[in-house]
Amino acid sequence: MKCKRCRRAEAAVDLPSHHSAFCPDCFFVFFRRQVTEGIRKLRLLAPEDRVLVCVSGGKDSLVLWDVLMDEGYGTEGLYIDLGIDGYSDRSKEKVLAYAASRGKTPIVVELAKEGIPIPEAARCVRMQECSICGTVKRYFFNRVAAEGKFTVVATGHNLDDETARLLGNLLHWQCDHLARQHPLLPEAGGGLVRKVKPLWRVSEVETAAYGFLKGIDYVTEECPMSLDATSLVYKEALSRIEDRMPGTRIVFYKGFLDPSNPLRKGAEVAGTPQACASCGAPTYAETCSFCKMKERVRKARSRRAARVSR
Amino acid sequence: MYNAPMITVRLPQKNKELVLAGPRRVMDLLAEADVRPTTVIVTQGKRLLTKDHRVEDGATIDVLSVVSGG
Repeated sequence: MKCKRCRRAEAAVDLPSHHSAFCPDCFFVFFRRQVTEGIRKLRLLAPEDRVLVCVSGGKDSLVLWDVLMDEGYGTEGLYIDLGIDGYSDRSKEKVLAYAASRGKTPIVVELAKEGIPIPEAARCVRMQECSICGTVKRYFFNRVAAEGKFTVVATGHNLDDETARLLGNLLHWQCDHLARQHPLLPEAGGGLVRKVKPLWRVSEVETAAYGFLKGIDYVTEECPMSLDATSLVYKEALSRIEDRMPGTRIVFYKGFLDPSNPLRKGAEVAGTPQACASCGAPTYAETCSFCKMKERVRKARSRRAARVSR
Repeated sequence: MYNAPMITVRLPQKNKELVLAGPRRVMDLLAEADVRPTTVIVTQGKRLLTKDHRVEDGATIDVLSVVSGG
């Protein structure tokens, strides 16, 4: 199969959803255009932004960092060490190696040192690891960004992630979650930093292909905590549909983002956050979710210590 | 006895390796390995293969899952 763009070189990536196939060089052009168009259409980033890119060592976040640097944005990477035996060490290694190859040193937050490593916290509060992980990551993304005077936090969520989340929210009629689901969450008062998802137009296959062809060495193993994540069920359902009807995912998501979509009503009524009574972080409740969780972990540890000493 | 050369299909994330008869297109190899094309990229050394690429006997290809959860 020949590249549909240059019509000379052999294609390396075929994209049925775009009725296209590209050689490596033309795919780089296509991919970067998809990302920059996604940024431009939704006004995710401005040239003067200081971008904190949250990197996990996986393909999406490292590819995002790579593209943003190549596009000239001022970026720094943030890696959160989740404290998962083996997996966290291997993913940190990938992040550090990639950052070094681009002359960068990422900011590293170690959850073990913060007193809330994910596996232990999940055992203590008997919650799903992914749920705890999301809360903890969001807290540190914002805290590090605010402390470091970054203007925006960027994460590597791609089209597959966003459509899986959308399907889950629709199936459970989570109207409040639907109203807040968007590649751009604007900054709000009280130190809530803007959050963006510049890869919203590209699929997982596309980010993996870009990472492979660019020689980005990312961690390919799956997080051991996420093996039974519900998002994987939604992804599988959507990929079955995509196999039969290529292009369905992007139509589904673009339709959702259409400002005239009634599901988007109420998206701007979140109000202004206030300072958490415990840590001062911005929150829409009296105490932020992170502090509530830390308190639950602390109580569970105390109960366990009391049982052991009896 | 003559052993016909075959295609080795490695699925590293599943710790699995299949030996399949060739030559065959990538999409046919994926179907036999029960892998959906929209969930993987397929590589041969430093090359990325399209789904209609014909893989010759004696080749080794890697099927890398791209699906991340959480």
